[in-house]
Amino acid sequence: MQATYARWLDVATRAGFAISLLAFLVYVSGLVEPFVPLEQLPQLWTLPAARFVEVTGEPTGWGWLGMLGYADFLNLAAVALFGVVTLVCYARIVPLLFAEGERLQACIALAQVLVLAAAAAGFFTGGR
Amino acid sequence: MEVTAAVPWWVWPIALAAVGFLIGVVAVLAGIGGGVLFVPIVGSFFPFHLDFVRGAGLLFALAGTLAAGPQLLRSGMASLRLVMPLGLAGSICSVAGAIVGLGMNADLLQTLLGALVISIAVVIWRTRSSEGGIVDPDSLARLLKLEGEFRDPAAGTRIDWKTHRTLWGFVAFGAIGFLGGVFGLGAGFANVPALNLLMAAPLKVAVGSSALIISIINSSAAWVYIHRGAVLPLLVVPAILGVMLGSRLGARLLAIVPAHVVRWLVIAAMLAAGTRALLRGTGLWI
Repeated sequence: MQATYARWLDVATRAGFAISLLAFLVYVSGLVEPFVPLEQLPQLWTLPAARFVEVTGEPTGWGWLGMLGYADFLNLAAVALFGVVTLVCYARIVPLLFAEGERLQACIALAQVLVLAAAAAGFFTGGR
Repeated sequence: MEVTAAVPWWVWPIALAAVGFLIGVVAVLAGIGGGVLFVPIVGSFFPFHLDFVRGAGLLFALAGTLAAGPQLLRSGMASLRLVMPLGLAGSICSVAGAIVGLGMNADLLQTLLGALVISIAVVIWRTRSSEGGIVDPDSLARLLKLEGEFRDPAAGTRIDWKTHRTLWGFVAFGAIGFLGGVFGLGAGFANVPALNLLMAAPLKVAVGSSALIISIINSSAAWVYIHRGAVLPLLVVPAILGVMLGSRLGARLLAIVPAHVVRWLVIAAMLAAGTRALLRGTGLWI
């Protein structure tokens, strides 16, 4: 079970790094236009996050999924992949633990999947 | 702020990559998570609002620990069996911490961060490790089978380990997760003593498992920051790339740099960044 988790973690993390680097190069090279121009960021990143969102009109919650045509949101999607890696690895070992008869460990892993899925879905942030 | 706004935008990602690189070198040498240096240093000496620094800090620590995870698991330094229940307690509390942190006044947060970082520097200075040993596991530890075998190739030894004080372990990781969520830290500084000194896991197992716990705790808290618009990729990606390269150099330097020199370097950096955060938060030095 631990070896399977390690293997999945390895592959998912490597993919996350490669995609993040690629998306970042697209972002800073100007190949794809960002929603917030890079030149304007130094005036905006001194604001609290809530005010930043208000001023720029950026979506919160999962709203950014509809903005992947912009380089900054494409980059955010790539960075968000790091938040999915653990969820994917846990989801993989749940059936293995049940199959091995480790019911308590399987339930703990399943609870972790639910917590991570709820956090990713925005359940704890009121779906904003 | 006008001065920093006049600096071209591209200077800041380069500076972040450089800071990430240096933190990567030092963190590996000192055996700590990078987040505990990243947030106070960047929060105190860079122009970004603390919301974005904490969002970047969580992802910074998350990426580093995800990258280290496979090797730690394969070598037996991290125990998934030990990590799973404690990580669950920590990740639930880290979400609560992230929500509380994003609702707090920035000056108050900066002040508390300064006080926390200075306290951590003192803890690192004062803490001594334990090699673990034979303990009588409590009923909860038996139920969760919090035990394992660790072969240390460097020392040529094999340790059959068990843990105890499981309930206190849950309390400790709940508190650690909450603080990590509030301040955007990985909290490895607290994980290792909790696993090693409190629960009696061998030191190397504690260090390895701590990294894996950070990857779980920070995954849930990171989503709160992402959903609230507190993650700027322009800050996150250069820092992550910097720390990855720095960690590689740190791993090579590990054999030649005296550990006590690095330890004092980390304590000095944390005291400086903590003091700066305190002064900035209290308005004495903006």
